Amino acid sequence: MAGMAKNKLKVLRAMHEMTQEELADRLGVSRQTVIAIENNKYNPSLDLAFKMARLFKLTIEEIFTYEEDCS
Amino acid sequence: MLYINNMNNKTYKWYRMGIAFFVAAMMSIAVSLDNTWLALSSVVIGMIFMAVVRSKTKRIVDEREVMVRQKAAQMTYAIFAPTIGLGSLLLMLLADESNYFLEAMGIVLSYLTLFQIALFSIFLVFYNRKHGGHGEE
Repeated sequence: MAGMAKNKLKVLRAMHEMTQEELADRLGVSRQTVIAIENNKYNPSLDLAFKMARLFKLTIEEIFTYEEDCS
Repeated sequence: MLYINNMNNKTYKWYRMGIAFFVAAMMSIAVSLDNTWLALSSVVIGMIFMAVVRSKTKRIVDEREVMVRQKAAQMTYAIFAPTIGLGSLLLMLLADESNYFLEAMGIVLSYLTLFQIALFSIFLVFYNRKHGGHGEE
């Protein structure tokens, strides 16, 4: 039973009027990684999740929600 | 891919492409002139230029890229080790008096397989210990 963390990164980025490139620079990752996270194709590490939370001044739970896949 | 911080990623790619183009052009000239020294010196100059460009860049390893590389390496090992191992076994089985070199090739390949498995096991134990998997409280 594998789960997937969904996130509000795209919404938060839009709210802060940031481009993917800018967000990637602030987080110290590549733009491809930001795209992958936004599309829920990649779950970031705890370290990166904390960086995001600090950047947007939110908690990790406010950015990420975990959904269990029951199939 | 490694992410370049100091130098713009695009600039770095342009530099790299320029150096590759220079080496390729020099190599083609060297081949047409049949000049080994020109070919050798162009490769060495290219390597020096690349080293200089790399020294000017600060690299940040992107975590997704690390994961992609890990998965690719794992897959490569999972396919390559059994293939080369079975291949060596087949070569040794096919060997006879007229094809004695097959046995030699099979032995070489089997040692390579063993070497690869040994390296994998050593690194597995090393990283397992490094990341706290050796049972100490």
